[in-house]
Amino acid sequence: MNQFILKKGCTELLLFPHIVEFALKKSTTIQFNSLKTAATDPLRIYYIVDGKFEWIIDEQHYILYPGDLAIILPGQLLGGEKDFLDIGTVTWLHIELDQLAHTGKMVPGRWSSLSENESRTIGKILVLNHVPVLPKLKEAGVLFHQIQQELFGLEIGYTTRINQLLDELLILIARQLTRLNNSRRDFPQTFLKLEQTLRENLSHQWTVEEMAALVGLGTTAFSEKVKNYTGFSPLNYLINIRISEAIKLLKQLDVNVTKIALNVGFYSSQHFATTFKKLTGYTPREFRKKNIPNN
Amino acid sequence: MDCIITIDLGTGAVRVSAFDLKGNVIGFIRASFPTFHTKPDYSEQDPEQIFITMLYVLKNFLNEKIHPKKYKVLSICFSAAMHSVMTTDKNGVPLGNAIVWSDNRAKKESQDLKNSAFGKILYEATGTPIHPMSPINKITWMKNHDKERFRQSKKFLSIKSYIIQQLTGEYIIDYSLASATGLLNIHTLEWETDALRHAGITADKLPGLVPVFYSTAKLRKEYQASLGLPNKVKIIAGSSDGCLATLGGGIWGEGKATVTIEDSGAVRVMGKKVLKDEKQRFFNYLLTEGNYVSGGPTNNGGVVFEWFAKQFGDFKRAFDLEDSMENLINDASKVEVGSAGLIFLPYLQGERAPIWNANAKGVYFGLNIKHERQHFVRATIEGILYAIYSIGKTLEEHRTINSLCVNGRFVAYPFWSQMIADIFNKPVNTKNNSDSVAVGAFLLSATENGIYKNLDQAAKTVELPETYTPKKIHHAVYKKHYAIFERLSVKLFDEFEAIANLQQKKE
Repeated sequence: MNQFILKKGCTELLLFPHIVEFALKKSTTIQFNSLKTAATDPLRIYYIVDGKFEWIIDEQHYILYPGDLAIILPGQLLGGEKDFLDIGTVTWLHIELDQLAHTGKMVPGRWSSLSENESRTIGKILVLNHVPVLPKLKEAGVLFHQIQQELFGLEIGYTTRINQLLDELLILIARQLTRLNNSRRDFPQTFLKLEQTLRENLSHQWTVEEMAALVGLGTTAFSEKVKNYTGFSPLNYLINIRISEAIKLLKQLDVNVTKIALNVGFYSSQHFATTFKKLTGYTPREFRKKNIPNN
Repeated sequence: MDCIITIDLGTGAVRVSAFDLKGNVIGFIRASFPTFHTKPDYSEQDPEQIFITMLYVLKNFLNEKIHPKKYKVLSICFSAAMHSVMTTDKNGVPLGNAIVWSDNRAKKESQDLKNSAFGKILYEATGTPIHPMSPINKITWMKNHDKERFRQSKKFLSIKSYIIQQLTGEYIIDYSLASATGLLNIHTLEWETDALRHAGITADKLPGLVPVFYSTAKLRKEYQASLGLPNKVKIIAGSSDGCLATLGGGIWGEGKATVTIEDSGAVRVMGKKVLKDEKQRFFNYLLTEGNYVSGGPTNNGGVVFEWFAKQFGDFKRAFDLEDSMENLINDASKVEVGSAGLIFLPYLQGERAPIWNANAKGVYFGLNIKHERQHFVRATIEGILYAIYSIGKTLEEHRTINSLCVNGRFVAYPFWSQMIADIFNKPVNTKNNSDSVAVGAFLLSATENGIYKNLDQAAKTVELPETYTPKKIHHAVYKKHYAIFERLSVKLFDEFEAIANLQQKKE
């Protein structure tokens, strides 16, 4: 395997403006300052082919071994522990996404065939479940190798294939992240983690797909598990949390009702009032008055 | 047709059941809510979330199972997990989360009280073992460590009191649940003045004491409307889950004990007198005046077997714990009684009765080169049940026990019930698919509604059709192993403390 470094603008990458860098590098000697700590805008993905690498990612120390995959989100810092690239072989891709917000909203760009929903879910997983190093992910190595073969083989359909392989890489990473974050044995614990995530992002319009993906299950299995465990469908459980949080805010006088509605994830104060009244018999304003009669 | 509804506010879930007036179950629904562990010793729940979960699931239940069949709801009776503490401010708004029974933050307050001369007097007066679980220690902790919250708190409530207040506007607590707070004198049925003084509160900061049959509180009209219930539906104060499980467990009268195994577990007896134990090993809770539920709790019931299954079980399908546990039990059933000399101390969460040692840990003892995976499985179950037996055995120093009634989630496994019979060497009676807390709450409600003359009569209607007879040969083997188990559980006292100190430093 010959080493190469392709950068945006070079002939090979003309058809792939979203690929900022694609490289395979063998280091046989240490070159000082070859990997200084820096943050970049593209999403960076590194796969270790051989050797042992000591990196600082997002201010945490990691040792990477062959088969490990590192994912550095836009804006996160990456550097060698001693500012240089250790001896060994590593391959990487820097991909420019149209958007990957800190809220998890991801828009990959026109090249990707991921649906809007899938992109959003993968983005959420990348941001919320983020673990920078996925150990022993040989499948990722295979994908890197295939992308390389397509890019240098130039056989018919290679542009489509490469973009598909990039999608595949994103899907593989998302799935692996959810597996790593969930034991798949302890549902109560997994569900508690999900609940915390939901509470931290309560104003987001969660879909069942997104919630299921975060715990690494398909939507049918997820809905069934949640129903069994909590007694509610996932969306009803979410309403349950929204109303509980709303009640707490209603009992504090300084927040207005419309703001509460939006904060806890209702579309509008009307939507909030209807749901609230159906469950409690009170409108939010009546409820507030009843509970804090002095004001 | 008339029906009776019971609501159990358990440790992690609300359980709503409906019964016809003969005691047949019409319907059941369960909804869970989370317990938050923001620090290692903390276990908290959000009272607003519990309230909404209860309201939501009750509404769904009424709309799906009760209203379409034109049942008329006579009453709703509450039961709840013991020992929770939450506080509200001058407007009745909760100040933070509720602290639940498993919370251990009041370790030091508890230790200090237990070691004092006053502690012994308090235990005898209130019937509640002095332990971090006890509300008296939790309130004292708040006084010492959460001063601002303590100062702003106008009411100190149990979760159940808050839920009933939200529904009816009344601040009440039944004598039964109050008898598990460490603040109620179980002989005079009044708040114990010295206990209140110790905790730094006055009686006006506590909900009003009412009998378990108290039923004059009225559902607020908004909830009548949203739930579709008539104005005259009675809200019955009810009791605690422990006392109701005992009432519903069918052990009214002499010579019987219940064994309950849920996440935690307990062995309980009922009687007209309290158990006076020099070593303060037992609780004495009130069911009704002159009827005491006494016994000992373990921290390490089903939760330990679930831990084992999660770590070492096979998961063919993601998160299918039930399947994994069934397979393990199947493996265990093929191993000889006594697990070929492998003994397990199940104290993964420290232990309450009878050793009352918060530092206690899990131990596999007697391991040799011939032991295989399945020996561990069986030894784990045997160890959990030896711990239960150790409570029963100490209870027998005070009471004669001729037979056992087993209830809780693990009744579903005959293997467990048979093993309990063999280890105790006593016949075991059970009823599968029966929630004895709900049955207890039904019996109490039915008595309040005049269907039974009194609880004695009500309790006698409990039927436990399944019987497990002890096998003498098995008991002989268990007995020899148990003798070692019992010695180990106290012999390792110093080592438990040393390792607990090491583990604490890492947290």
